[in-house]
Amino acid sequence: MRDNVISEIDVTTNKIKIAARDVQVYYGDTHAIKDVSVDIQDKTVTAFIGPSGCGKSTFLRCINRMNDTIDICRVQGDILIDGEDIYDSKVDPVQLRAKVGMVFQKPNPFPKSIYDNVAYGPRIHGLARNKAELDDIVERALKRGAIWNEVKDRLHAPGTGLSGGQQQRLCIARAVATEPEVLLMDEPCSALDPIATAQVEELIDELRQSYAVVIVTHSMQQAARVSQKTAFFHLGNLVEYGETDKIFTSPEDPRTESYITGRIG
Amino acid sequence: MTDRPDHTTPKHSLLRQDARTVKRNRAETRFKAYGIAAIAVGLLMLVILLTTIIGRGTGAFQQTFLTLDVQLLEAKLDKKGNRDLEDIKKVSTFGYAPLMAAALEKKVADTGIETALKPKDMAAILSKDAAAQLRDFVLDNPDLIGTSVEFRFLTNSRVDGYLKGRVTRESIANDKSINAEQLDLVDALIADGSLEKRFNLAFITGADASDARPEAAGMGVSMMGSLFMMLVVLALALPIGVAASIYLEEFAPTNWITDIIEVNISNLAAVPSIVFGILGLAVFINYMHLPNSAPLVGGLVLTLMTLPTIIISTRASLKSVPPSIRDAALGVGASKMQSVFHHVLPLAAPGILTGTIIGLAQALGETAPLLLIGMVGFIASNPPDGIASGLLDPNSAMPAQIYEWAKRADPAFYERAWGGIIILLVFLITMNAIAVMLRRRFERRW
Repeated sequence: MRDNVISEIDVTTNKIKIAARDVQVYYGDTHAIKDVSVDIQDKTVTAFIGPSGCGKSTFLRCINRMNDTIDICRVQGDILIDGEDIYDSKVDPVQLRAKVGMVFQKPNPFPKSIYDNVAYGPRIHGLARNKAELDDIVERALKRGAIWNEVKDRLHAPGTGLSGGQQQRLCIARAVATEPEVLLMDEPCSALDPIATAQVEELIDELRQSYAVVIVTHSMQQAARVSQKTAFFHLGNLVEYGETDKIFTSPEDPRTESYITGRIG
Repeated sequence: MTDRPDHTTPKHSLLRQDARTVKRNRAETRFKAYGIAAIAVGLLMLVILLTTIIGRGTGAFQQTFLTLDVQLLEAKLDKKGNRDLEDIKKVSTFGYAPLMAAALEKKVADTGIETALKPKDMAAILSKDAAAQLRDFVLDNPDLIGTSVEFRFLTNSRVDGYLKGRVTRESIANDKSINAEQLDLVDALIADGSLEKRFNLAFITGADASDARPEAAGMGVSMMGSLFMMLVVLALALPIGVAASIYLEEFAPTNWITDIIEVNISNLAAVPSIVFGILGLAVFINYMHLPNSAPLVGGLVLTLMTLPTIIISTRASLKSVPPSIRDAALGVGASKMQSVFHHVLPLAAPGILTGTIIGLAQALGETAPLLLIGMVGFIASNPPDGIASGLLDPNSAMPAQIYEWAKRADPAFYERAWGGIIILLVFLITMNAIAVMLRRRFERRW
């Protein structure tokens, strides 16, 4: 219905936000990501597509070092954000994650009130000096998450009581509340129905105004709808990366073509 | 057959069970029957256990008392007449015995009971503890000296047993502590209404008593011993156990050292409790020279015993918190510690509390380790006054007290052992109820 509407918007900036060079990821003996080099632009939605197990989620989790929590996972190569190596020994992953927010596959609100869900990040990062400021931040974040109108009357109701789509938008609001510069989304719509998916996609497009958004998705239609850039991963390799339109209309690599036409996956 | 549509004929009719299905269904029915039988046997045993305990133990909560008007003669109790407590204290229980004998003699004369017993033999139906109780009463109320007061005297355990049906006229044939004439006197006093069974608070609050005075023995002091031990266990085992579990579960790297620690904790939970007793004896008493029989040492030993239980249950409840919550917290930039203390721990709290209370209940019922540190035995101390005395003065514990009573010769102690079991069970049930309540309260409400 609105398949091509979003992707027609011009990419307004070409500044590189995230630069990955020769990234290798190992899970124990398994070589999960092989030689991935990619430049992700600011104020752009970049979609990672590829069959299951191709390493797109793993690569996404490298960008905010969520893989650090997995004991057997090793990352080699460089990932630069704003030209700074995030795997430098001086980098504290906690600070990094405040700068690089993340939304997960399954909506995972804290079992607390809607307000506390959003206020948690600003609280631990000391973004608000008083209650009024915190209220402001929460309201702004919920508005950015496009859920303010639905929850403004019940901010102190439990976040887990919302519907799946609302929970996911709450999680997005929670992620933007800490004023990140990059937003990573790991299949944010896979647990949602089509209506909720449409709402979240619309939201992603709005978020592009302020952030570099990286989204992992299994749905090629979704990638086509929301992204300006697309990267196709296959068996741990970055096969092809370029303008979304180009990837979907005239892919260079035969593997990309097979995947988007449904022959591998 | 025109109105019936043309059906194909079934190869196997669904309306008839084939041999395999019949066999399978029979097996299932048999299995269900075994299950029900197992539960029924379990319930039967429980009912037998509870009825036995209650049937034999409730007697301990009642005691036979004889109410007498006793003349607190000034000439005997306070010769100087100045009501100086130090002077009154000089009169030992021997000074009170004649007053009681006189009171009983007067009672017998007043009610017109005919008996061939001498006053001294009449007084033998009273407890050996009765004089001490009267003395304590007078020391508390020195103003009453010189007056006549109505006092409720404990009777001898044989008289008590006679009222409870434990002692009969046949059974006393070889008994030197009581004879048939004394029982005649008891019958007459029952008829008069002055000798009767009453609720005995002293059983719940009092201290243990020597072999000759089972009627005066109580659980109170050993209950305090148990209480102080539980305080020590709670104060040490909960923080140490929870801290250790959080570290092992959330922070520790997985390598061979943590593997060994893990295996050892699991094995420690299965170590016989008496081994902890020996450890306590060797380390706390022989090496650190902490006092014998002290609830502090008992608490330390039980802490060692309870720690593995608490650690295992805490780790299990930490593990059961979904990883998505940790991801969510880390994703908004919380540190590891913030994610644990703000999100994981509150969600694991009900499980941790339940595990802790179950561990405490286990420790409360433990007797074996106490054997080796001297908490099992005749410890007739006064109730502790203050925390230091509660922790360091020799004391017993509830299960140790029960064991102590059960091994004494006099059947009157046997009844008290059952009564003690009732008190212990009430404690355990209360603790489990608290565990259930806390679980309900802290459980995620959404």
